[in-house]
Amino acid sequence: MDLSITSLAQIIIACLMVIGLMVANAVVMVYFERKTAGFIQRRPGPYEVGPRGTIQAICDSMKLLGKQLFIPGNVDWLLYFLAPVLAFFPVLLLFLPIPFGKFLTAMSVDEGILLILAFSGLGVISNILAGWSSNNKYGLLGAARAVSQSIAYEIPMIMSLLAVIFLSGSLNLSQIVEEQGSWPWQWNICVQPLAFFIYLVSLVGETNRAPFDLPEAESELTAGFHTEYSGMGFALFFLSEYANMLLVSFVCVTFFLGGWKGPFLDGFWWTFIKAYLIMMFIVWLRWTFPRVRFDQLLNINWKWLLPLSILNLWITAIVVKLL
Amino acid sequence: MTSLDSLAELFRQADAFVISNHDFKTQGLVMSAVIPAKNLVSLGRSLCAGGYSLLDISTLEASEGFLLTYHFDNINQPGRLAVRLLAPTGKPVVPSLCDVFQGAEWHERESRDFYGVVFDGNPNPLPLLLAEDFDGSPPLRKNPKDLAPLSALGLFGQPQSVDPAWEAYVNPPAKESSPKAEKQA
Amino acid sequence: MNNLNFINPFSVREDPGSSVGDLYTQNFSRHAKTGTVILNLGPQHPSTHGVLRVIVELEGEYVIRAEPVLGYLHRMHEKMAEVKTPWQFIPNMGRVDYLHPVAWNWAQVGACERLAGLEVPERAEYLRVISCELNRIASHLMWWGAFVMDLGGVTPILYAFEEREKINDILQIITGSRLTISYFRFGGVSADIDERFVRLTREFIPYLRERLKMYKALVTDNVILRRRLEDIGPMGVDICQRYGATGPVLRAAGLPRDVRRDIPYGVYPKLDFAIPAGPSDDCFGRYLVRLFEVETSLNIVEQALNELPDGPVKMDKAPKANWKLPAGETYFAVEGARGQIGVHLVSDGGKTPYRLKLRAPSFCNLSLFAEAAKGVLLADAIAILGSLDLVIPEVDR
Repeated sequence: MDLSITSLAQIIIACLMVIGLMVANAVVMVYFERKTAGFIQRRPGPYEVGPRGTIQAICDSMKLLGKQLFIPGNVDWLLYFLAPVLAFFPVLLLFLPIPFGKFLTAMSVDEGILLILAFSGLGVISNILAGWSSNNKYGLLGAARAVSQSIAYEIPMIMSLLAVIFLSGSLNLSQIVEEQGSWPWQWNICVQPLAFFIYLVSLVGETNRAPFDLPEAESELTAGFHTEYSGMGFALFFLSEYANMLLVSFVCVTFFLGGWKGPFLDGFWWTFIKAYLIMMFIVWLRWTFPRVRFDQLLNINWKWLLPLSILNLWITAIVVKLL
Repeated sequence: MTSLDSLAELFRQADAFVISNHDFKTQGLVMSAVIPAKNLVSLGRSLCAGGYSLLDISTLEASEGFLLTYHFDNINQPGRLAVRLLAPTGKPVVPSLCDVFQGAEWHERESRDFYGVVFDGNPNPLPLLLAEDFDGSPPLRKNPKDLAPLSALGLFGQPQSVDPAWEAYVNPPAKESSPKAEKQA
Repeated sequence: MNNLNFINPFSVREDPGSSVGDLYTQNFSRHAKTGTVILNLGPQHPSTHGVLRVIVELEGEYVIRAEPVLGYLHRMHEKMAEVKTPWQFIPNMGRVDYLHPVAWNWAQVGACERLAGLEVPERAEYLRVISCELNRIASHLMWWGAFVMDLGGVTPILYAFEEREKINDILQIITGSRLTISYFRFGGVSADIDERFVRLTREFIPYLRERLKMYKALVTDNVILRRRLEDIGPMGVDICQRYGATGPVLRAAGLPRDVRRDIPYGVYPKLDFAIPAGPSDDCFGRYLVRLFEVETSLNIVEQALNELPDGPVKMDKAPKANWKLPAGETYFAVEGARGQIGVHLVSDGGKTPYRLKLRAPSFCNLSLFAEAAKGVLLADAIAILGSLDLVIPEVDR
């Protein structure tokens, strides 16, 4: 890939579009999650602001933007301000190699999945910084939980993706989609159901969503690592949480659900439809299940997901070698 | 242990001043006893061994001093008891029951907050319900005229046995009505 | 028997040295090990249900010591009772425990009636049972929702609120209020039930029975919930006895102690109902006992409605506002949603009671938390705290 003016312009435009996508995603998801929660909890959800409450999320983000920046006493202010920024910007990069459509990729890199996995590891650093710098014991406990949880769940996540990579023989995300067909039985989920399941569980753990939302378990740690954040700092954490959810859903779609390919007419709409279905699944989980305990969370990972994913990887490797 | 006779025997061992039977229907108590403060812990131990648990400690401010009423209930076979102590107004110090019934700690701290009764042996020195920076005397009745003598409160049911010294202390001969007569009326 | 560690709260305190925090934190951290974290849970914390504060000493995620700090909601109800006539004091009782006010109504009114020897008409006794049990269901449902929320399940509390709203609608018809109910009067109750009350209650009973089945399938049988509750926070008979715990905590430990059965009051002896005991003394046992009690209370309400006699709801010559209690002492206990509510009433024959001691079940149940929470994970400590069913206004009175 030569770094010409056009490709630079392409990346800048893509970054702007990704920011737009992230913000739009957050607004849509806030509304969608609240409405889903309302539906699950037999209440209307937001309905006062705008038609059927659609403007509620925008109003909330305006409120967060307009809030005074409040710094609690004795914080390490440099790290305190760095943490939400650091949570937000790596996510921006992660969307670049995602193939939304056949020709709709911001930056088609051969090692796309490596880029995603590497930069998604940065997210946890922002959690540590936030918990550490805000001089709050809840924050510290939440940060400690976030680290061990992220480290734990990244491993089976990578293992399950690796199984698919063995099959397609490429780290390029577009290539992986191309290997799959248009119809659901031609997708990788039928070849690798166990890997799909492992990935689905660990994506909930990786994005710190209920029932694995230990770093911000509100009944134990009030808000965990972002206890001391309000206003824009909180909004950035919020934004990156939803962006992370969207990202892991896109990766899931790319690897297991045929990417932009779908019945009748291939196109980027299939990517979005499938990704948002997975998002809906995550939201549904959150409003249904109680939270697991921390040792149970790690037990699920180290005693079940990890051995299963290694087993799955072995079998895949042997089968790939034999065929 | 739970029969009334054995209970009375237990109270007698604790040198009870007064042992009274009560009408459970109207007073909610099976039996009550006034014991000297020094015997509280040993009596508590025997009650604990007999399956009793401490319900509450109710402090009463009377003209003779603070009357502490420990209510016990048997967890196997219901029957409420009251064990009473009299702590003098000037120096209200009574032994703590915390070693036997750990739940007594909070009841005792509450009593210390509101009446200034000192429980010797209570492990926690801090106020329970009052604010930590509350600086003042316990909220007692200021006017001595507001204080009723114990004999006017009808506390003692139908006494089985009354120590003459206690009778003289609580019921000075000048007083006409005895608690017994009042209860029957 | 040493007197050394006693700081008289009303005199000059000794200087606690270099430690930070208020007096409670300093006193607590004086005994702390090195390398531990002292964490103040509350008074504003999502799972302390009000303004309870618990100081915990954490080693990693393990609680090695805990101490509840009370008094943030102390309103001196006992002192207020000494300056108010018994009549004026009835509304206070609804404020003591806002989730089960009818039982507290009953405790105070019953104590005064017992002291004065008043006879309550039978219809009023039945109405007392009906209102008290409906209120108990509301209280248990509210606890259920809040408890699952402590465990991270956010949805059940809204379902619980829906049922509680229905009960509030029903109780509002006769009591006139939805939260701080003052329904009882000396010698009866304030109002008779009407057609609508009976119709709504009869509709509500089968409705809730169906819903309870759904709750069992959705929540009780959930694997995460079970793993969070089973074998967590065992509280056997021994610890209950030493701390004076009553109610569902003691019943889960295996003893069927219930004031409604043991020391009968009202018309409970005429009604047929089961007292659960067990199945286990852990958090899940307490959870099951409370859900079972909801069904029991439904049965009681149904029976009481069927057997409701005609007659007045207030005795003839019921006490008026200037009524004076006779001199004497009584202890009256009722079974509240959280355990044995006791009222120790001493009167010298004056206009106001000489002494009114309120025994709050949450107070005793909470006192065993410090021992039960030793050595458990922080998340389990929250579960144990929730399983005690605390109402902080009642603890602090």
